[in-house]
Amino acid sequence: MFRNPGFMLKLNLIRSFFIEIGELSYFARRFFKEIFKKPFEFNEFLKQCFQVGNRSFLLVGVTAFIIGLVITLQTRPTLEEFGAESWMPSMVSISIIREVGPVIIALTFAGRIASGIGAELGSMRVTEQIDAMEVSGTNPFNFLVVTRVLAATLMLPVLVILGDAIALYGSYVVENLKGDVSFQLYFNKVFNALEFGDIIPATIKTFFFGFAIGLVGCFKGYYCEKGTVGVGKAANSAVVFSSMLLFIIDFIAVFITDIFFEI
Amino acid sequence: MKKTHNQKLKLGVFVVIGLILFVVAVYLIGNRQNMFVKTFNISANFNNVNGLMQGNNVRYSGINIGTVKTISMINDSTINVDMVIEEKMVQHIKKDAIATIGTDGLVGNMIVNIIPGKGDSEMIAPGDVIQSYTKIGTDEMLNTLNVTNENAALLTAKLLNIADAMADSKGTFGMLINDTVVSSNLKQTVNQLRIMSIEANKSMKSLNTIINTINFQESVAGVLLNDSIEAQKIRVLLTNLEATTAGVNSVISNLNETIEDYKNSKGAVNYLFNDEEFVKNLEQSLININEGTNKFNQNMEALKHSFLTRRYFRKLEKQQKKKAKS
Amino acid sequence: MHNIQAPILEIKDLKKSFGANHVLNGFNLELFEGENVVIMGRSGSGKSVMIKCLVGLMEPDSGSIRVMGKEISTLNPEDLNTLRTDIGFLFQGSALYDSMTVRENLEFPLRRHKQKFAQIKDPTELVLEVLESVGLVHAIDLMPAELSGGMQRRVALARTLILKPKIILYDEPTSGLDPITSKEIIELMRRVQRQYKTSSLIITHDVDCARVVSERIILLIDGINYLEGNYETLKNSDDEKVKAFFK
Repeated sequence: MFRNPGFMLKLNLIRSFFIEIGELSYFARRFFKEIFKKPFEFNEFLKQCFQVGNRSFLLVGVTAFIIGLVITLQTRPTLEEFGAESWMPSMVSISIIREVGPVIIALTFAGRIASGIGAELGSMRVTEQIDAMEVSGTNPFNFLVVTRVLAATLMLPVLVILGDAIALYGSYVVENLKGDVSFQLYFNKVFNALEFGDIIPATIKTFFFGFAIGLVGCFKGYYCEKGTVGVGKAANSAVVFSSMLLFIIDFIAVFITDIFFEI
Repeated sequence: MKKTHNQKLKLGVFVVIGLILFVVAVYLIGNRQNMFVKTFNISANFNNVNGLMQGNNVRYSGINIGTVKTISMINDSTINVDMVIEEKMVQHIKKDAIATIGTDGLVGNMIVNIIPGKGDSEMIAPGDVIQSYTKIGTDEMLNTLNVTNENAALLTAKLLNIADAMADSKGTFGMLINDTVVSSNLKQTVNQLRIMSIEANKSMKSLNTIINTINFQESVAGVLLNDSIEAQKIRVLLTNLEATTAGVNSVISNLNETIEDYKNSKGAVNYLFNDEEFVKNLEQSLININEGTNKFNQNMEALKHSFLTRRYFRKLEKQQKKKAKS
Repeated sequence: MHNIQAPILEIKDLKKSFGANHVLNGFNLELFEGENVVIMGRSGSGKSVMIKCLVGLMEPDSGSIRVMGKEISTLNPEDLNTLRTDIGFLFQGSALYDSMTVRENLEFPLRRHKQKFAQIKDPTELVLEVLESVGLVHAIDLMPAELSGGMQRRVALARTLILKPKIILYDEPTSGLDPITSKEIIELMRRVQRQYKTSSLIITHDVDCARVVSERIILLIDGINYLEGNYETLKNSDDEKVKAFFK
């Protein structure tokens, strides 16, 4: 049985999976160690915030707007059948704020940022820029990884809040066109439906999403294999791995929210 | 250098907008849960809270003034509902206010309605327990209506007997007519009977229209009525009512005929006058009829307040007002 | 010129292996002040590994590396960084930071080595000075991607020079360049050697480069310093392994 090549292949796959998880954990530990090491690269951090946050805004905004639009358009007929169109704002807002907004925006963010960071650090590794940095007296982990992970951690929540607002606006546009609901009434209903149990856990989990995306992107790039193929692989696996991690975190977050907020 | 300055500015704007949105959202949500205004607690005891939950709204004359804080059983039949009320509303709520439990729309959340009291009693104070009132369900209302109906049917049967008896004894009645007291009594009776029959007719018409509108309305209430036993009951009730009215009408026409007869009759029927039993019977019947009419009116009134038909009656009132104006 | 003084850089019995692959197998080297030494070897012979060990980018398995009298392996990170300001490193692919302009690239090493340049108020002065010595003042605000390979290499050299190092390590300075540009770079290296009075350790497999730049050539074969001598001596060697380089 142990000589079966298929079995051995699977065994290796599982083994490498666990090795990957272990390496990522070490990487995370190193992040938490280095984050307190002086000097903190504040300018680079701001620059990364701009790259990660502002530059993703258009993508996130368009995605969020369409999501709001589509959810409303597709749920409306069902609610109309019950004569319950007036429940539209509360339904859409709860689903967007709680789940759809954070997850979809984090996924687009992962697609953009994890691959971007993975490719950037990967190519820096391959062309020895990371070595050059170390030789010129700058701790590359501090300069490259800490700043990027922090930027992703802090920018994703901002993006999600803005994205949620845009998605709700998209939903309002549909409601206004189809049902002639005023802006004030719509958002009154939205905030009537929302509770702290919706918005606080949803916002907290986006910090973890951002952290996971930044960390995986940096991890894959930082330990990139030599050659251009390695860079491509780093970018690709950064997206795949971080998206997967995102759903795992989301699952855990929903679990915890369930316990603490009794929904 | 310029470029990075520009970047920092944009980043700052970006983050600040996000933060403002978040704070506004938190504030708006918190505001709704009365977290940032001064509040005080009042409570009310109910027998049945119909699925009221923590956090449901409390309304005073239709304005949201607070939320339900806790719901607890205090003994096997009493439930205490503790409510958080905005402090600025304290001056408007009096001690004799009444709390009821209702729904926000047909399928909406449960809410506590506080109805202002009539008198000018003192302002409410924190911790007060206000009166509560559990509304009569449609079911109970229909039951009373049925009893009344049966009574009315009995009454009609008796009246018919009397009328028949009167028709048979032409002679006896002549006496009655000469007597001024009795005849005026009789006139009153007849008048009252007329009024009653007219009222009954009106009610019948209203009921019919209600039922028709309910049938044709594609509302949830319509569906509910069409499908449930309630509807069946109402239908039975209506047929009964119709029969009663018809009965009353025939009595009246009989009486009329009799009276006409006696007006034109040549012979005097003296001994009717002595027939005390007959007069007593007649009087009793009249009292019965009066009672029946009153009960019927009460039922109609109750029906008017029922949530199913309230809207219709309001419409009716409005139309009447319009007519009155024009 | 280099007989009585202690060597500025000294490697003794350096060993490094990756798994079963023994790359360095007891390598010895001495570099004296003002000397230019070329290390030649085939690809994968461990030249790059050796100089990465010199600046602490890799840790050797055993052996001692002394740079200006200091043992690398015993230094704490801070002292290592201070020492690194005296060692310039020219990377194989130039290794310019893609996301920064030429000016920012050159200023980058200054950020962490301020103590050495405490007296310099304006880094631009220094940047212009080194750019002038590589002849690229006009490219100061360009991005690395806008430069040709030869220009990139020159900017990389400028970035190495900005810290005024005493030793410069060149990792394949002419790799990936056409012969004419290679010659330009070799010329530049010679000029820099004279102007900044540096010692240099050059890793290459470019025989022309070795001939022009070096005073001494070490052949790194089988993980040890196989043969040492100047260009003429090595060229006339009868050893088969040595001959393979000079065909």
